[in-house]
Amino acid sequence: MTSWIRHSAARGILTSRYPDRAATDEELPEAGRTPTAHPEELARLSDGERSLCPTGAIREQAVDQGRCIRCERCFAFGLRPLGSPAMNVGTREELRESAGLADRRPTSVAPFGTSLHVFMIDVGSCHACNAEVLALGTPYYDLNRLGLFFTNSPRHADVLVVVGVPTPEMVEPLRRTYEAMPGPKAVLAVGACAIDRGIFADGPRTGSSVGEIVPVDLYVAGCPPPPVAILEGVLALAGRGATPEERR
Amino acid sequence: MSPAPFDVARGSAFRPSDRTALAYVSRDGALALYNDYATHRSTLVHEPVLRGEDLEVRARWRGAAPGPRTVSVGGRVQGYGVFTFPYGPVAMGTAEAGAFDLVTYGERILELVPTVGYKDRGIEQAVVGRTVEDAALWVERRAGVFALAHVSAFLAAAEAAAGRSVPERELWRRALAQELQRIQAHLRLLARVADGASQNVGAAQVHALEEELLRAISRCFGHRWGFGALLPAHPSDRLDRNGRTELADRLGRISRGFNGLWETFLTSRTFIDRIQGTGTVPAAESVRWAAVGPTLRASSIAWDDRLRQPSVPYTDLFVPLATEANGDALARVLVRQEEIRASFLMLEQMLERWEGVGAGEVIPSPGIAPSRGIARVEAPNGDLVYDVTIADGRVASLQSRSPSEANWPVMALSLRGAVFTDFVFSLESFGSSFAETDG
Ligand code: SF4
Ligand code: SF4
Repeated sequence: MTSWIRHSAARGILTSRYPDRAATDEELPEAGRTPTAHPEELARLSDGERSLCPTGAIREQAVDQGRCIRCERCFAFGLRPLGSPAMNVGTREELRESAGLADRRPTSVAPFGTSLHVFMIDVGSCHACNAEVLALGTPYYDLNRLGLFFTNSPRHADVLVVVGVPTPEMVEPLRRTYEAMPGPKAVLAVGACAIDRGIFADGPRTGSSVGEIVPVDLYVAGCPPPPVAILEGVLALAGRGATPEERR
Repeated sequence: MSPAPFDVARGSAFRPSDRTALAYVSRDGALALYNDYATHRSTLVHEPVLRGEDLEVRARWRGAAPGPRTVSVGGRVQGYGVFTFPYGPVAMGTAEAGAFDLVTYGERILELVPTVGYKDRGIEQAVVGRTVEDAALWVERRAGVFALAHVSAFLAAAEAAAGRSVPERELWRRALAQELQRIQAHLRLLARVADGASQNVGAAQVHALEEELLRAISRCFGHRWGFGALLPAHPSDRLDRNGRTELADRLGRISRGFNGLWETFLTSRTFIDRIQGTGTVPAAESVRWAAVGPTLRASSIAWDDRLRQPSVPYTDLFVPLATEANGDALARVLVRQEEIRASFLMLEQMLERWEGVGAGEVIPSPGIAPSRGIARVEAPNGDLVYDVTIADGRVASLQSRSPSEANWPVMALSLRGAVFTDFVFSLESFGSSFAETDG
């Protein structure tokens, strides 16, 4: 035991300063940000360029952050990763319409106090989203310092975090897990799969979105979203979300 | 090691059947072993058998129907007071969707029946008709934590089908990416085993190292899990000279951190006691059920694709091979920690000798006639096989056999007669991923 203490002490404090300070480049790498361009630039893109996007996320005036899987193909014709973790969080409408430049505050949707218990359900992920959610509990992010906790039962949960694209077999478990939660409750859909099926949008077994099965309050964009963005999503549900400016 | 301990039929006739899985070679390399899943028979045949094209790897394990299916290793136990305790598919913590039936009379697990397929997204079917580059986006999202191995195997199979030879520096890049992800996957597994043994501080420290490695990967490839890193013309490759020096520094720090932690783990009696003798798979069972990867090597079978079917750059590197004899959870953990060191060593060699790459340029040229290519890589969990047919520049069929899939039967066997608390150690020490299994 003493040797473990020695290890921890030798390593010093690893924990992120986020959200008190802006996220660092280490915490928010390019592929975690929102690829975008000014609306005029987007409007100038040819149909050929737009069709290179594997998820059809690039539209006339905005990039649908909810669909985008961060494949970075569009970098070849001028889109660039921008933004802060708060930019990854929003309602479906906000993510769809955002050009990634708007000033907006994720809506605080549930009447929670400051402390929250979170239960995660996997309905068909590639496991990377699970891993990023798990990372919140590890020393670099340590969500307990913010009064946020994981729980092992939906019966003790305020927030349901959903990762993955629902397969037919997971539709019913998802619905029942949601029903098992006491009110008030909120749902956070994490990752492109859980938002609008991501790359799997036209797959043979992935026909329904999470939002069609349970009511989703907020979405966290990314494939997978970096831990700081997921943290921002949970904070927003606790009424402690920030505007992109505040966290830039 | 002589092949004698294996309880298998000897013979030279080998007819591949629809469900033939894999071939293994005994440590001296003289004999190869085939497992036939249709008949549950294993056959030892003399080398040479592993000759590239001649090796028919058939990966059609799954039945025709998609979705959940049970992994059965024998008839169900029945008797007075025997009942089934179902677990899943909604799991605790951040675990994946998958289910287990624990057959018990209350104290010991008489039988464990995993149900896989809850996460079957139909990827193998969905990629048919897509270009190789589009299909690759699906393939790397099959099991994101092993994305770099999957996309390497898929691209290699597609390139073999198209008859393309790949520039060597591209192969070096793939190997470098895979070794990085192997260390990360092994660290994660170690952290989860430690967590299961309530080694909270140790687990947290290993997770911290894992996070540092994810950040290093993200520095080189622009993505924490390496999505897109190996795809043609991906923009964010930062492995220029400066990038390589920085990566070497970061890896040095992580490696030193790991060595220190591991010493402390070894002195922790509670940790070692919990996993020693837990979830044991004897060598004969490993072979009979065609286990792969660290699971197989933990039962003393020295099979590793990087050595047995070497390609550039492994032909050019010193590749240490770790094996353990006992086949228990401790052996699996020991093999993985040896492999973490081995991968650090290989990365050091690679970063010293490799010249770096330009943007990817490996797009299989469209062929009119359908052509088929098979590729195998040693993924973190073991031998991964992709079997791809390309026609007209598009994927005409894709079959694969993932290492996670291969290891479920022995995972189930390892818990026969175990107490309930052993479940977590067995599960985590095999490290099989439902996402990788289900596709
Ligand atoms: S990163 Fe990929 S998915 Fe996202 S907008 Fe660009 S092309 Fe589309
Ligand atoms: S959103 Fe991306 S990272 Fe998350 S589960 Fe889906 S494919 Fe994996």
